[in-house]
Amino acid sequence: MRLDVNGHEVFAATGGKEFDTGLPTVVFLHGSGLDHRSFALQTRWFAYHGYSVLAPDLPGHSLSAGNACASIEDSASWFSDFLDAAGVKSAHLVGHSQGFLTAIEFAKKNPERALSLTAIGTAAAIPVNQALIDTAKASSAKAAHMMVNWGFGPGAHNGISAVPGMQPIAIGRAIMSRNPLAADLQACADYTSGDAAVSSLGNIPGCCILADKDKMTPLKAGLKLADSMGVKPIILKGYGHMLPIEAPRQTLDALRNFVSAVQSQAAA
Amino acid sequence: MDPALRRGERSGLGVFLDKWPAWIYQARKNIRKIYMSNSSFYKPSTIALHTGYSPELQFGSRAVPIYQTTSYAFDDVSDAKSLFNVERGGHIYSRISNPTVAVLEQRLAALEGGSGAICTASGMSALYATFTTLCSAGDHIVSSEQIYGSTATLLRHTLPRFDINTDFVSINDPEALRAAIKPNTKLVFCESISNPGMETSNLPEIAKIANEMGVPVVVDATFATPSLCRPIEHGANIVVHSITKWIGGHGAAIGGVIVDGGNFDWGNGRFPEMTEPFAPYHGMRFWEEFGPNCFVMKVRSEAMRDLGAALSPQNAFLILQGVETLSLRMQKHVKNTISLRDWLLEQDAVTWVNHPELDSNESSDVAKSLFPNGAGAMLCFGVTGGREGGIAFINSVQLASHLANVGDSRTLVLHPGSTTHSRLTKEALEASGISEDLIRVSVGLEDIKDITSDFAKGLKAASRVTGKASK
Repeated sequence: MRLDVNGHEVFAATGGKEFDTGLPTVVFLHGSGLDHRSFALQTRWFAYHGYSVLAPDLPGHSLSAGNACASIEDSASWFSDFLDAAGVKSAHLVGHSQGFLTAIEFAKKNPERALSLTAIGTAAAIPVNQALIDTAKASSAKAAHMMVNWGFGPGAHNGISAVPGMQPIAIGRAIMSRNPLAADLQACADYTSGDAAVSSLGNIPGCCILADKDKMTPLKAGLKLADSMGVKPIILKGYGHMLPIEAPRQTLDALRNFVSAVQSQAAA
Repeated sequence: MDPALRRGERSGLGVFLDKWPAWIYQARKNIRKIYMSNSSFYKPSTIALHTGYSPELQFGSRAVPIYQTTSYAFDDVSDAKSLFNVERGGHIYSRISNPTVAVLEQRLAALEGGSGAICTASGMSALYATFTTLCSAGDHIVSSEQIYGSTATLLRHTLPRFDINTDFVSINDPEALRAAIKPNTKLVFCESISNPGMETSNLPEIAKIANEMGVPVVVDATFATPSLCRPIEHGANIVVHSITKWIGGHGAAIGGVIVDGGNFDWGNGRFPEMTEPFAPYHGMRFWEEFGPNCFVMKVRSEAMRDLGAALSPQNAFLILQGVETLSLRMQKHVKNTISLRDWLLEQDAVTWVNHPELDSNESSDVAKSLFPNGAGAMLCFGVTGGREGGIAFINSVQLASHLANVGDSRTLVLHPGSTTHSRLTKEALEASGISEDLIRVSVGLEDIKDITSDFAKGLKAASRVTGKASK
């Protein structure tokens, strides 16, 4: 669906069904340079199993207009406006990589609006080398080239795809090459409040889905995040940083088990 | 290379997280020169052997297994529902997808540098699926006038019955191409090397013009194979092959493939087929849903489901055996072709030779630019004695096979004017670069001395028609 946020049109995938504010909502936040298609398969499952789904393209990314947010704090503020525009009071928040930083910064300021928080392939801090940011400033395509090399695990490098006939590396590269990667990476590099944000989450239920072959937010950093969140991490073996694309079914299984459990507890 | 990229690549894997230990950087810095294609960081010969398949997922079977099955058992009702709703990837019915075929698709997508691929029952069904996925009644195609005879028949006769009409142009004439593109044009079609005219399409120039006007470029790259040219790197948006030919290489199985370049903006307003709700899939909007791979997803969801021209798993397995040695075979094919071409140029009974790299070929500069490792294994030549000389040649060769195919590991010869292109009018024949004395050769992998010896017999027979001696 398309909606206006601060004067700019924003696209948000709804998983193939009409968005219904009367249902429990799951919101997916994509990583640096990516878009809603990172969660193509997960969003459809939730939409067809009793949830309403929103997977926005962040400003300036793929199908959304406007300029990319300059910081994670700006991104969290924009996200609040986005939820207001969609008429969502509270939601289960799912963030991949940079998307999780936005989610925790938002939840820190709006804890009552986060029904749960799921971290996928991420950490509380994502420091970025200036050389990569400089490369992205010169060319998103060149930076995307480097990032898909490190971002995908061995299976994707061997051309293994969960969807018959597809090449996940090429799909990721095509999306990232056209998006404002430099702004995203700079926002990640500048964000140093992740640990404080995580420690402020209080009783918000959390879930950590990590990959043991993650070279971009290494498992060690993810385990530290899980520890800070007080949750037992779910570690998917053999996969890299791009978990929602590389291992869509395993990621979905972990995610739906968690969100369903939180919903059941809330209903009880 | 710009300074920022150089610095980035110099930093190797330590570039993203700035806290990587030094030993990781040291271990990884040797893979700086990694760029291969959009899909894979492996080199072509490695892709051809490994991509798309992992033994540990298949009981350790080192060879790709043949999944000779029509259908796939669902875990439960929920599992079935999730597959039909495209909530997860997987196989439902082998008309739409099959595990053995999927390996071939993923391998070919990686070899071409595409975002995805779909195999079909033949090269012609790949073209039909591509054209009908992009075009509806009232739409328009711009095609090179130098194309394969069956493709010409599809565009000139079959598709117009469904009100999909084609204008044919000299594809390397930028002004003619630009002028031919209309508001309802849905694609520009050409062959990387035309069959049998041997014209090389200037892919970068064609893609620049077409894409600027919001139209994708579809390239039949059968004659070049991804071993010699990857059209997506030159701006093409969709690549089609008859994988019956060199990709298979053995002449034992018929098949086709469609590769999505993942590099076209289907949301530019010209393609409601990609942007508007698709009723058979719950109103799915393919561009919004799948982005870079929306074209192949649409082909699988519509053309494969409705038309049913699926590649059989047995044929996929056979073609995979050919793919594994593609790069090696193409080197030998090219070497033999150049040797035969040069030998033919010296024969008195040969009136002319056409090969993409010869200076006499109008597009030779383009060929040399696009095919640095050789312009394929096809050549054409004229024999003395015209039509009768050609017939005498065909009837006299013994090693070369006279048949309607190309890209076999064996040398093949054909007289197009009386076979593949026989349905074309004289004018259309001439526009396709075909004369009555034309002999088309698909140069095989035999010892070149045996090939030239065989051709010498044919030329001697042709010479008898006119009484002209062959050297």
